[in-house]
Amino acid sequence: MIPREAVQRIAAALGEEAVEEHPARELDGLAVAATLRPADGEAVARALEAVGACGLAAVVKGGGNRLGIGNLPNREALFLATERLSGVDEFEPAEGVCHARAGTRLAAADAIVRPHGWEIPFDAPGETATVGGVIAAAAVGPRAHGHGRPRDLVLGLEVALASGQRTHCGGRVVKNVTGYDLNKLYTGSFGSLGVIEGAWLRLRPLPERTAVFEASASRLEGVGARGLAAARRATARAVAIAVSVRGAECDVRFAIELAGDAPSVERDAAWIEEHCDARAAEAGAVDRMRALQGRDAEAFGLRFRIDALSSRLEPVLAQLCGRCTSVLVYPGLGLLFADLRLDRADAGQVDSAFRFAARSARAGGGSFVCESAPAWAKQGRDVFGAAASALPLIESLKQRFDPGRILNPGRFAGGI
Amino acid sequence: MSGLIEALASVVGQDGCLSRPEELLVYECDALTLHAAKPTAVVFPRSTDDVVRIVEACRRFGTPFVPRGAGTGLSGGATANEGAVVVECSRMNRILELNAEDRYAVVEPGVVNADLSKAALPSGLFYAPDPSSQLACTIGGNVAENSGGPHTLKYGATTNHVLALELVLPSGAVVQLGSATGWTVGYDWVGAVVGSEGTLGIVTQATLRLEPIPEGVETLLGIFADVVAACRTVSGIIQSGLVPAALEVIDRRTIAAVEASVYAAGLPLDAGAVLIVELDGPAPALPAQVERVRGIAAREGATRVEVARDDAERQRFWRARKGAFGAMGRMAPDLYVHDAVVPRARLPEVIEKVCAIGDRYGLKLSNVFHAGDGNLHPNISFDRRDSDELERVIAAGAEILETCVEAGGVISGEHGIGSEKRDYMGLLFSEADLDAMKRLRTVFDPDGVCNPGKIFPTTRFCVESNPRARGYDRVPLES
Ligand SMILES: Cc1cc2nc3c(=O)[nH]c(=O)nc-3n(C[C@H](O)[C@H](O)[C@H](O)COP(=O)(O)OP(=O)(O)OC[C@H]3O[C@@H](n4cnc5c(N)ncnc54)[C@H](O)[C@@H]3O)c2cc1C
Repeated sequence: MIPREAVQRIAAALGEEAVEEHPARELDGLAVAATLRPADGEAVARALEAVGACGLAAVVKGGGNRLGIGNLPNREALFLATERLSGVDEFEPAEGVCHARAGTRLAAADAIVRPHGWEIPFDAPGETATVGGVIAAAAVGPRAHGHGRPRDLVLGLEVALASGQRTHCGGRVVKNVTGYDLNKLYTGSFGSLGVIEGAWLRLRPLPERTAVFEASASRLEGVGARGLAAARRATARAVAIAVSVRGAECDVRFAIELAGDAPSVERDAAWIEEHCDARAAEAGAVDRMRALQGRDAEAFGLRFRIDALSSRLEPVLAQLCGRCTSVLVYPGLGLLFADLRLDRADAGQVDSAFRFAARSARAGGGSFVCESAPAWAKQGRDVFGAAASALPLIESLKQRFDPGRILNPGRFAGGI
Repeated sequence: MSGLIEALASVVGQDGCLSRPEELLVYECDALTLHAAKPTAVVFPRSTDDVVRIVEACRRFGTPFVPRGAGTGLSGGATANEGAVVVECSRMNRILELNAEDRYAVVEPGVVNADLSKAALPSGLFYAPDPSSQLACTIGGNVAENSGGPHTLKYGATTNHVLALELVLPSGAVVQLGSATGWTVGYDWVGAVVGSEGTLGIVTQATLRLEPIPEGVETLLGIFADVVAACRTVSGIIQSGLVPAALEVIDRRTIAAVEASVYAAGLPLDAGAVLIVELDGPAPALPAQVERVRGIAAREGATRVEVARDDAERQRFWRARKGAFGAMGRMAPDLYVHDAVVPRARLPEVIEKVCAIGDRYGLKLSNVFHAGDGNLHPNISFDRRDSDELERVIAAGAEILETCVEAGGVISGEHGIGSEKRDYMGLLFSEADLDAMKRLRTVFDPDGVCNPGKIFPTTRFCVESNPRARGYDRVPLES
């Protein structure tokens, strides 16, 4: 329970309208009973000061799509929602950059730049995904293959630190080595270092032509290689493969999206049709695959994200299909999302699943994150796997940016 | 100090340790020759283990250290402040793995940039970041500076190509950061270390992404009556949605210097500026792109647009660009290469202002730059023995940086801050912004022994140049 006087104190700092007490909403086993909605960056800073002063903690909430990624919270917290920090406040078509406030939904930002021939190159799953949330989670979808990842697209950030200090890093220009590149640290930090208020983004020009294809298969053999070959075509913007496993059988579906100038797309389209045994599909094929990525795991399910070297995709996929109910693969990105079903709420089964994920990641030359799991299954575990030799650095950075542990407490890698 | 020298020599051998004053002379500065400082010694490790033992020896004797590659840096990044020991990485120059299937290479820091692309060529791959100094500069230096080059426009800078790093921390501990898959769990340490200018540790291994060599390439040379028209063309190309591999502008004075040198490329001496446009990618795309660029250039008043007919002609166009710095050596004994970035749409007006600043100070200022990224390189040719001229060079440089910042830009696009621009950081960053960077620094180097005196402003200047930064010296950095 959040003490009454704490709520009052925060409301006094932020204004009544920015504080909502509500029936408890569950976040990985924690009952969160209040949401702060600061109206601007200054209010975010004041909110953090007030939260810290009351001995509470805050979990930053954008669209809420990826809140489930993280370890169990280790102290009482409230939500700090970015929804009022909304809008594209600067956009220069001649430069191909824009500044969006953190709570801006991707679709809303895209609607502003698109008529001028640009697109917001973020592709995270979830209708409500926000600019700040995508950056904080370093969230990618299949189109990150063509667009690049958030780390490649964020030019500058405004960030309110736990101390209430408001800072910025980077800038609005497309090339910049002025000081440390803190953009990279905040991107993918899951709100553990500061609250992103807004971001300068590099936009991508709209392609002249796109073409979408689907293919299917009933055997796993050659699936990884076929996907990778498609992804390595010059105009391939997204390749996704969904594998459903039913005992010894499996059902494999491919979605491939090409984007670029007309002659190159046409040439690659012919290649895809011939070599991938694919047929033209409607525009939403890739989005439907992406929706699978965004789904929560089932009640007794775990979802792992595993990264692998291209040359090892095929054996890792085969290994995963030996035990998982479904696997989604983005071959161009070297990512696999694997769903595992447990028979019951049994910690031993979870241990075994984590060991399996770790083995699969090792086989692929990469790492794993358990992106979705019921709270009981997270107990006593680090869903980020092992961050190995960097753990002392993670701990030390957290200590310097958030010594009071008020931001997303306990939930990031290493349980910080 | 002799105890330290002995300890260092015991790690790298007598022939791997320089300490006589005449030997140290060439290590007093990098390519920013205005800033010099005498190192205590220069050591040449051959392995990560050597580097660890060197760092441990320096720590025992309380002497700071500074990593160094080829010394081509232009911001004083590799100068040995506070009598630091220079850890020179040129003997760690092996390509340890070249994985064509997974498109990456694992290299030691002393590998020369161009050698990596050469080694990858038979596999149909190349290493995209291509600083003009690529025949000399090293991967260690590139990682530290987050170096770019003409092709950064399409392919990105070093940071977009580093997958993993091995780093010797200032404590002597060795950490592995990132992964050859390009994904990492936890914070993006690789992203934070790239561009940190050798202040967070010594890179002893880098895993780098290689790119497939594009199927086709077309190189155009647009000739313009003035540099502003060339810049307008650049803006037009960006706005049109084309993403060329390179967009480089060379102005009249640079043309004159190049044409009078061994790099002469047959550029018209009466041109106000030339624009090199390189388009690469799938072959079927290129003819239409060439026509679009021609159209935009014509609209902006190009007097002529040539398209390279073959590789020899392409090399000729590029010779002018790549030889520009060398050619300027003929104009005066010293050259100050500036580096700042402005929003691309502001290029035409900023370039006019920059030229006006040079003229107002009576300086020989010429421009050759990565226009597609908005990355300016105003170059000032001068003679440092003329103290009045030197003062004007410094004053003009400061005004140029201020002009770029006013236009929404930043004070370095690829050369870094080093010791050169540390006192201009306050133009862009508040006390709180710099404090956040210092927090990162203290994670890696709490005692400030790794490349001291770089990036962060001296207190006085920061406070003066930015009223928001007042009280910087009182901010506790250790929490
Ligand atoms: C003619 C000329 C043209 C140039 N053109 C370009 C250009 O187009 N683009 C561009 O970006 N730059 C350019 N530069 C600048 C320079 O070449 C780059 O900054 C280059 O990356 C420096 O590499 P280096 O090996 O010479 O490093 P150095 O100058 O020796 O060192 C640079 C920095 O790297 C650090 N460092 C070196 N090795 C390591 C290591 N192993 N671990 C950690 N830190 C290390 C040093 O401490 C220092 O801070 C040019 C320079 C010249 C002289």
